[in-house]
Amino acid sequence: MHVLIINGSPRVKAYSNTDKILEKFTAGMSENGVTFEQYEVADAKQWEKMREAYYNNSRIIIALPLYVECIPGRLMEFLETLEPRNDGTGMAFILQSGFAEGIQLRCGEAYLEILARKLGCEYQGTLVKGDNFSIRFFEGEQRDRVTEPYTEMGREYAKNGDFKSEACKRFTGPEVFPAHIRFLVGLLQKTFAKKMFKKIAGNFGCTKALDYRPYS
Amino acid sequence: MILIVNTTSDTAVTEELKRCLEERSVEADIVEAASLKISHCIGCNHCWLKTPGECSIKDDYEIILKKVVHADQMWVISDTALGFIDHKGKNIFDRILPIATMYLKFVGDQMRHVPRYDQRTDVGIIYSGDVEKEYLERWTERAALNFESRSLGVFAKDELKEAVSCMC
Repeated sequence: MHVLIINGSPRVKAYSNTDKILEKFTAGMSENGVTFEQYEVADAKQWEKMREAYYNNSRIIIALPLYVECIPGRLMEFLETLEPRNDGTGMAFILQSGFAEGIQLRCGEAYLEILARKLGCEYQGTLVKGDNFSIRFFEGEQRDRVTEPYTEMGREYAKNGDFKSEACKRFTGPEVFPAHIRFLVGLLQKTFAKKMFKKIAGNFGCTKALDYRPYS
Repeated sequence: MILIVNTTSDTAVTEELKRCLEERSVEADIVEAASLKISHCIGCNHCWLKTPGECSIKDDYEIILKKVVHADQMWVISDTALGFIDHKGKNIFDRILPIATMYLKFVGDQMRHVPRYDQRTDVGIIYSGDVEKEYLERWTERAALNFESRSLGVFAKDELKEAVSCMC
């Protein structure tokens, strides 16, 4: 089996959380002889090759971050240049986001099923998972803790050829957090997380308060 | 104030809107975005973590950003593609991130970004072409959560009068 993988993130590869997820996913997927080719939507120089690959492959995975509840505008811009396949090509998706709860990604997931249909492809499911915002800020073991679970999902895809198994569904985690967890996380957001964001902002060279209003 | 962002090259729609709104004495600010240079969001997070509230991409989107923080409503007029608004329409929403802060809080049972400004801007869509309307309605309701506001609805170009009745 050979799979075309499109990284639909508009962020450059070096900082792309989706790319780090794909590193682990493809490691698991290719353990038993599955091969793949991967392209980045963020790099416009790859668009022509990516279009060719779209027409020449019968298995496609588009991995993408959730942007305002749906697919990023830049990915849409690329997809608008494609003609529908209408030949039984399979299309699956890896949808990831910063927000942690599964419910946050369901509207985006619903569009991906429409998208596969509009591109004349057979919808092979979406691997849905949030809580990935921190990947770009982590390195080594800390990053692996977030991305490593995708290796098993790569094996799962290699086995089934889709993301429709119970294991893939469970991978999303909770749809919403229980009330006591929301209380604790809410508290953390007001305290520890604010400090952490300020620290990250400092590393970015930020000199203003994070709630600064430039256009008041 | 009502902000209308036309991402299509069809200015007959905005002319008609202008006429209808003047009749009703509704104050509107119309931006013809098709002739502007507006890039896609590149997800750099600088608007949250490096230059809070400001986008790192220095293009004409700043015109919209400066207006939206004072608008009661924002209507995006968009062409469609693949059953959804096209990339030009979607880019208007993707680039809105500077109006939110990095900080997070729960709204009901879901986490959301804390808004940067006090203004709440309801959002509506006027589209031209084929869409999965039921989906677009669902999406617009979700998109409005990013403004901590509500959806004004989704209207085809030939339903302009219905859209205008929501502009007040």
